[in-house]
Amino acid sequence: MQILGRALRSRSEPPATTVAAVESSQFESAVAPLYAALVRRLVLVLGNTDEAQDIAQDAYLQAFRAWERFNGPDVRAWLYTIALRLAFNQIRRRRRWIAAIRRVDPKPWRDPADPDLWAALEDLDPRTRSALLLNVVDGYTQVEIGEMLSVPVGTVSSWISRGRARLREALTPSTDGPNGRA
Amino acid sequence: MNTDLDLKDRLTAIEGRAPAFEPPPIGVGRRRRLALSLGSATLLVFVLAAVAVAGAVVVRTDVRGYPGVENPGQPLAGARLECMSPPQAAAYLATRGYTHVLWQVDSGADKPAFSTTAPTHGYVVVGWIDDDGQLNMLVDQRAGSSGVGACARMTMP
Repeated sequence: MQILGRALRSRSEPPATTVAAVESSQFESAVAPLYAALVRRLVLVLGNTDEAQDIAQDAYLQAFRAWERFNGPDVRAWLYTIALRLAFNQIRRRRRWIAAIRRVDPKPWRDPADPDLWAALEDLDPRTRSALLLNVVDGYTQVEIGEMLSVPVGTVSSWISRGRARLREALTPSTDGPNGRA
Repeated sequence: MNTDLDLKDRLTAIEGRAPAFEPPPIGVGRRRRLALSLGSATLLVFVLAAVAVAGAVVVRTDVRGYPGVENPGQPLAGARLECMSPPQAAAYLATRGYTHVLWQVDSGADKPAFSTTAPTHGYVVVGWIDDDGQLNMLVDQRAGSSGVGACARMTMP
């Protein structure tokens, strides 16, 4: 909490600053470097670049407003918790919206370099996808993920094992012959 | 996908290829709320250009960066000054040779009040050393304020 950014001064005055300026500077130093990774994670969870950017901005602003109260050891986990909860709310809203007017998502993101993995990921429920990414990519434990997503550890365990199994099933090359299953 | 390591590598790679963006400026609302008409956008371009020129002048002359004195590698790293009352912090600083400290007290006014003696109460927020070698300490006396860092939510000393 002792990062200090910039102090605005005139040449004749000492370098004055305020608590609000210090807090803003501390927030930017701690959270801004995580922003790009957060957007990428949200693109994977939401499958949509515009929505990911909107949710990341909302999460960033919510985090800034709550920064004064943050006292945990892991800024990234805290930021991801805020963002993922917003993302899940957004997915619920999107489902209602699509059901109401049969709207098709205009700008879905697809990964051309690994289409099989992306297709398999897309088939997972967003919460399963999030839990899997938090566990496999970020290394968070199931207990930590349960706290982040506000679900019991058993649920997280189920999501992760199911997600792994589905990815394994989708990505394992078939051993059947060219004519299909024996 | 033969192993978990393989899965981690592929998931990390796929995430690395996803588009990313810069963080928004603090205090600005959602990107879509900033949608502007073409005329407004043109005007905004001129305003931004003027502000950029003026801002560059201000930044060149008036903005300095100072790392906090408790940052890693700084002279008071790990001192936990935020857990001390201002008089306690002053006494601690004196033992470390910092006898001439400029205290800046933020009570919510536009500018902080300056003093060479520590205030009797308030939260020690941060300290920094400016170009002249002067140690500055910032104390929060705003209504409803609370401790920071290692002593977040502690009561007002």
